[in-house]
Amino acid sequence: MTLQNFYDSIGESLDDVLNRLHKEERITKYLGLFLQDPSFNDLEKGFAENDIEKAFRAAHTLKGVASNLGFQKLSEASSALTEDLRPRAFTDNSKPLFSTVLNLYGNIVDNIRTLLA
Amino acid sequence: MDSSIRKKILIVDDVDLNRQLLAGLLEDYYDIIEAKDGNEALLILQEKTTDISLILLDMIMPGRDGMEVLKVMNENGWINEIPVVMISSETMPDIIRLAYKLGATDFISRPFDQVVVQTRVRNTILLYDKQRRLSELVAEQILEKTRNNSLLIAVLSHIVEFRNGESGMHILHINIITHLLLRTLIKKASQYKYLEKDIDIISTASTMHDIGKISIPDTILNKPGKFTPEEFNIMKQHAMNGALILDKVSFKKDEPLLKYAYEICRWHHERWDGRGYPDGLKGDEIPISAQVVSLADVYDALTSERCYKKAFPHKKAVDMIYNNECGSFNPILLECLRDVEDELPSEFNRFTWNHQVESDFSKIYEITSKDEEHPMYSQTFRQISYEHRKCNFFESLLDGIVFEYAYNPRMLKFRPDGAKKLGIPRIIADLDNAGKYPGFVDQENWEYIQKQFYSGSPDKTTFDIDADLTIDGKRTHCQISIQQIWNKTTDGKPIPVSAYGLARPKKGMEEK
Repeated sequence: MTLQNFYDSIGESLDDVLNRLHKEERITKYLGLFLQDPSFNDLEKGFAENDIEKAFRAAHTLKGVASNLGFQKLSEASSALTEDLRPRAFTDNSKPLFSTVLNLYGNIVDNIRTLLA
Repeated sequence: MDSSIRKKILIVDDVDLNRQLLAGLLEDYYDIIEAKDGNEALLILQEKTTDISLILLDMIMPGRDGMEVLKVMNENGWINEIPVVMISSETMPDIIRLAYKLGATDFISRPFDQVVVQTRVRNTILLYDKQRRLSELVAEQILEKTRNNSLLIAVLSHIVEFRNGESGMHILHINIITHLLLRTLIKKASQYKYLEKDIDIISTASTMHDIGKISIPDTILNKPGKFTPEEFNIMKQHAMNGALILDKVSFKKDEPLLKYAYEICRWHHERWDGRGYPDGLKGDEIPISAQVVSLADVYDALTSERCYKKAFPHKKAVDMIYNNECGSFNPILLECLRDVEDELPSEFNRFTWNHQVESDFSKIYEITSKDEEHPMYSQTFRQISYEHRKCNFFESLLDGIVFEYAYNPRMLKFRPDGAKKLGIPRIIADLDNAGKYPGFVDQENWEYIQKQFYSGSPDKTTFDIDADLTIDGKRTHCQISIQQIWNKTTDGKPIPVSAYGLARPKKGMEEK
């Protein structure tokens, strides 16, 4: 699997990321780091433990990290969740918004694992 | 500034991936220091304020967030020295606006773009560098000008002194006493509060009080015995002559320095009861500058040896002045003299011409620090580093344990010898999170000391406390002398920012 294949299979554009970060090996390195980034775990924990502050912060972080790596859809989904949680209260929308993030994140992580394997 | 030295950039972000991303884009050109939260960032800043050329700051972090960092940077004045570029993915206009208000220079939004990040960082550093060089230039010129002025005044005043066969000590003393009396006067009597900003100028002007003596013949000036009435009449002319000399200065007539010097020359021999010369002014008709210098002149004349008299001891001189044996003075000024009576002799010993340099320096600092467009830079730091060396030297002569306490974040620093005596590391960083009391003191004493650190006020910045410390393994009853430094928060509230202290075993109690 090439880096190009990876971005194609998650439905994002490698060109956009390359324009910003310039080097393929740099991008590959950051994809590896993305696997270790705790934001998604924190988000999950925030929901499980009903910890709104943790959930908000994690959603906010994930939004930034995702946009840096060109995961446009994940970034937008996290952004929607961030704004939903900003008043620091879970709403009826929170769970569905979280499911969207979960699905997008799972797909990306699976593909990164294949890429780096 | 040597451009071959790589500049340091501090990246503050709680997300490892974000720090690495930014570091990756910048590490070819800069040295990167990373902090994973606001507290770590502040601790780094406290240690290396002058080393860091730029901060990339995330806004939302657990613990102390970006706003907190900006607030503390304001309190400590660092915000004027180091540009801060926000790197938050935060898009709320309120938060961004507040960050700009707190002094952030610029904003880089996500996703990061190599060209944007590198260009913003380079431009910001270049801009600050340019401003730094400009303000350095301005500061150097002001410093030189101030030095030249003081030097010329000192030379002028000394000409008279040396003809008088006296050392330069008289004008130095007049300067000190005038300063001290004025400081006391403005605190004591609210109607003189307006003089506060002119204290330095009046003190400088005081050194010119006798320039009129330049026109008095040597034979009279240096006559050891009593004057004949004719001689005394000639001698008396020095007051008016001094004023005339200054009046002939055809430029800068409105300069406060010249205005005060004129008053002082002409009227420093007037008396409160109206029986002085040359104009016989009475009471408040005599300008306050001349009243103060007159008292300073009499005090110093009494306590110094002159060609016609021996020196009186301090106590005797003060008694003679109180009893109106040497003139008659404004009762408020006599009260001021009484207030400073105990400080006077030690003030003479403490003062050296180095203080003059220091005061020049603080003047410049005052001028430039009020100028928000051109904050103080390298010139200040260079001066501070010289002062630092001086401090270190004097500290090394002190018998006791010297320490420094920072308030936000809380941190204790010791000299190596002190740390050794207490059996602790030189720096105890992050007292907030250390969660326990340092090893050299028990909990009760530590809590007491901590409380005392917050007990001063901007009006009372020095105080002593007693506490038990463990020195060289022995519990020792100590006196701790503390000097606090205060600053203002962004909303104008005074807060302590640091404290300097010296702990000494109390006499006779070392073996407790």
